[in-house]
Amino acid sequence: MEEKEAIILQNINKCFGSFTAVKDLSFSVPQSICFGLLGPNGAGKTTTMKMIYGVSKRDYGKTEKMSVFGFDPQKDSLAIKFFSGVVPQENNLDEELNVEENLKVFARFYGIPKKEATKRIAELLNFMELSEKQHSRIQELSGGMKRRLVIARALLNNPKLLILDEPTTGLDPQVRHLIWEKLRNLKRQGMTILLTTHYMDEAFQICDRIIIMNRGEKILEGNPHALVNANIEPFVLEINSMVSFQKIKANIPAITRVDESADVIRIYSREQLTLETLTKKLKPGEYYLRQSNLEDLFLKTTGSTLNALQ
Amino acid sequence: MHSSNNRLYPSTFNRIYSVWFRHFRVYTKNLISNGLPPFLEPLVFLAGIGLGMNRYIDQMAGIPYITFLATGLPITAAMFTSAFELTYGTFIRLEFDRVYDGMLAAPLNVKDMMLGEILWAGTKGLFFSFAVTIVVAAFGFIPLPWSLFTPVIGFLTGIMFASFSLLITTFVKNINHFNFYFTGFLSPMFFFSGVVFPIENLPPALRIIAEFFPLTHVVRPTRALCLGDYSPVLFLDFLFIVVFTLFSVWPAIYRIERRLIK
Repeated sequence: MEEKEAIILQNINKCFGSFTAVKDLSFSVPQSICFGLLGPNGAGKTTTMKMIYGVSKRDYGKTEKMSVFGFDPQKDSLAIKFFSGVVPQENNLDEELNVEENLKVFARFYGIPKKEATKRIAELLNFMELSEKQHSRIQELSGGMKRRLVIARALLNNPKLLILDEPTTGLDPQVRHLIWEKLRNLKRQGMTILLTTHYMDEAFQICDRIIIMNRGEKILEGNPHALVNANIEPFVLEINSMVSFQKIKANIPAITRVDESADVIRIYSREQLTLETLTKKLKPGEYYLRQSNLEDLFLKTTGSTLNALQ
Repeated sequence: MHSSNNRLYPSTFNRIYSVWFRHFRVYTKNLISNGLPPFLEPLVFLAGIGLGMNRYIDQMAGIPYITFLATGLPITAAMFTSAFELTYGTFIRLEFDRVYDGMLAAPLNVKDMMLGEILWAGTKGLFFSFAVTIVVAAFGFIPLPWSLFTPVIGFLTGIMFASFSLLITTFVKNINHFNFYFTGFLSPMFFFSGVVFPIENLPPALRIIAEFFPLTHVVRPTRALCLGDYSPVLFLDFLFIVVFTLFSVWPAIYRIERRLIK
């Protein structure tokens, strides 16, 4: 029955001392999709990932359960890691070895025979567009190249499950698009992908399904586009200063929703016209009218407690 | 349960070997700068201390002083190299380079990584004691052929000091703290474990302390091997090596696991 689900988490908790990192988290990931964990720093995304590949231990509980392709990470982390590829948040490459040697040494950890490894390494360097860096030292690589190499390393064993912790954080737009393209490609080949991100566009670009986490708890779950449609007003007017906001404050209709929690003031509305009317009193450059996106949803869901405190 | 029999992932032996291979690969990358000094160091030592002192001290414990020294030096070389590997080396991989975090993404557990390191340190102990043995043998300072088996004890020395050094490392939060271990423990041991003079000459109280030093229990069998002078005490030496190693490695792995898997 569980065959269809790649990953199942049921009532998972994790505390570090008095700090609760993950609280009663449940979700399941069907096979061959890209599943995203979204949330601000400290939301519990990385801890959740680490519990899934057995590098962090979940708290004991009566109803808790975790299964990764039928294996419990607490008991069979080696089996899970054998058919998974892991891209940790930090590029922990072996700086004492060059690009190719990093992959060769890692291939041995999977027990891949030498001949097969050589072939696979050439393929992966080509796939990740690193072929000309084959003999480079790790220190000579740019941030984007290091990231691509870590992804290549995670693909050595041709994994069923690819786990990526913030795959594109801190990278330039070209590299991010390249990585997304590669991940979509892998997904088409049937690989199950689990990733964490705090980039909304990343989730929009590659995730079939996401959960939004805040302070260790799941807040929302669903398809990113569907979540936006169902939970947030389709249009948003961004005002970049308080001075500009004061000019229109009196005219804002009650049917709109104003969010002042971020640096920019955001006015959400179901009607584009309502927002256009408001812009008449503003100069170009003082405002930006656009369609709402996942970031707005994110702000609405995770920022809500912040607003309550203010 | 899901062992190599089911072919779910590589066997324990292969996992430990693959970690050993990582260290071997890193070490042999710079073969000249890593491989030559072990041969040069004994030359310097013998020239500086041995030849100089030899003019004043003819005999030590009934053998030429230079022979006395030459039968202890391969072992201290093994001790220092394995201690360095599992202190500074391990700490850097643990805290600075984060090599272990990377390796934990592969189908390896903490035990595999640590046993692989200790095995590698044993290999280095073997190689370093081999280098010293070859040099002193070339000068005719040690009797042949049995002395050529010294590297076997060098291997055990490497394993034992690697295990103990790993245990020390699990308590260290700041890399500079290793200074205490080296100057406070390893260096005194160098002088009071029968390498430069026989421990039989020590005052009774120090004599007893010397018997608690692990180095004593690898130097004595080495000299016995080289000189062909065996006694039943050697059995206790080997027992000490085994017990000391096990009592070091077991808590060390437990503690490092708690540091890596939270």
